[in-house]
Amino acid sequence: MSDTAKAIAELFTGRFGDRVRVGASLKGIQTIEVDVDAWLEVCRALRDEEDFCYEQLTDLCGIDYLSYGQSEWDTTGASTDGFSRAVEGLGPGRFDWADRPEAEVVKQRFGIVVHLLSFKHNRRLRVRCFAPDEGMPIVPSLIEIWSSANWYERETFDLFGVVFEGHPDLRRILTDYGFTGHPFRKDFPLIGNVAVRYDSQKKRVVYEPVEIEPRVGVPRVLRNDSRYNTDEFDQAADAAAEEVAAKNTVAGEQENQDG
Amino acid sequence: MGMNNPVPLDSVDDILRPNADANPLLDRGMAITSLDALLNWARTGSMWPMTFGLACCAVEMMQAGASRYDLDRFGVIFRPSPRQSDVMIVAGTLTNKMAPAFRKVYDQMPNPKWVISMGSCANGGGYYHYAYSVTRGCDRVVPVDVYVPGCPPTAEALIYGILQLQAKIRRETTIAR
Repeated sequence: MSDTAKAIAELFTGRFGDRVRVGASLKGIQTIEVDVDAWLEVCRALRDEEDFCYEQLTDLCGIDYLSYGQSEWDTTGASTDGFSRAVEGLGPGRFDWADRPEAEVVKQRFGIVVHLLSFKHNRRLRVRCFAPDEGMPIVPSLIEIWSSANWYERETFDLFGVVFEGHPDLRRILTDYGFTGHPFRKDFPLIGNVAVRYDSQKKRVVYEPVEIEPRVGVPRVLRNDSRYNTDEFDQAADAAAEEVAAKNTVAGEQENQDG
Repeated sequence: MGMNNPVPLDSVDDILRPNADANPLLDRGMAITSLDALLNWARTGSMWPMTFGLACCAVEMMQAGASRYDLDRFGVIFRPSPRQSDVMIVAGTLTNKMAPAFRKVYDQMPNPKWVISMGSCANGGGYYHYAYSVTRGCDRVVPVDVYVPGCPPTAEALIYGILQLQAKIRRETTIAR
């Protein structure tokens, strides 16, 4: 951590104490984690106080930590051996939050991430907060502090199902009218639940249960192509080179004897 | 005529030019043809598409309409209203949310009407075939006449699709059954 980053980090610990945990600083953007109880209070201080002065909220989004750190394939050796043929791990959405395999890594399922910008200090900040209850994740709304949070919070509600307490108009914003579920949750099936079709009898577009099977895209690996035969080619080339070298030495010795 | 009206490849291509050398209009000041051929000539010569750009395919559609390829040469003039359109070019990803509005626009077009499905997404969902929010092909919602493959198709491919639709319309009979 550079000196400036350290100084910025100390700014947060000095002001907020144990309500804030200071995380990594990446590309000059400091990450801090705030308790949900102190969420509004800390954010207001971040906007108003001289040391911070984060006037603008540039982004707000959600995270679903279900199946965090899990992958469906063993990918460590993929570049040398290729991908394995079948799904090995527990993929997203194959288990409940309570049965999750790495319970120790992340305590809460849903997180909110806010990106802030301070014009005054030319500085950016990433603030994270976890919703306490994974069944009904509720986080206070930031509209009172930064009005630009309005549609971001609607989007996060739509896609992750995080409820923002105090939001004046918490409707869905992106998904279809009458949509059920929150599609960015890891346990939402990728193919969804409904498909549309025009019904010529009813003379309107109707919704029906989705008729196709979900597909797990297994990367296709071509084996035994020319790339894997380099050893044979190399060995043949080496053998040929040795043969030539041996002939030359024999010829050279002959010449020496003649001379 | 001249260079602005190139000689068609086939004699049925243009009722005013049954043969490339003998133009009845110039020779005799009149032409005899069937009513069906006349109707089809008029229809293929002024296919006005409903502007229905949904995604990146729309950029290629704009390219086809711009000065290099210039769809105006084919009598293809984009209309902002379905009431004035003969063809709908579905250029892009049709989502479930858009599908009812899309069908409504199609229903508002006067007969006869045709649909060109442009690009993988409109043809069958394409990249988003297994997604929760995308209609797996616009032919689930409207009848499609010509499918133009590609992701996105080039402007040339779209023009070829339009010419294919012209060829299809020429085979239609309205009067004779």
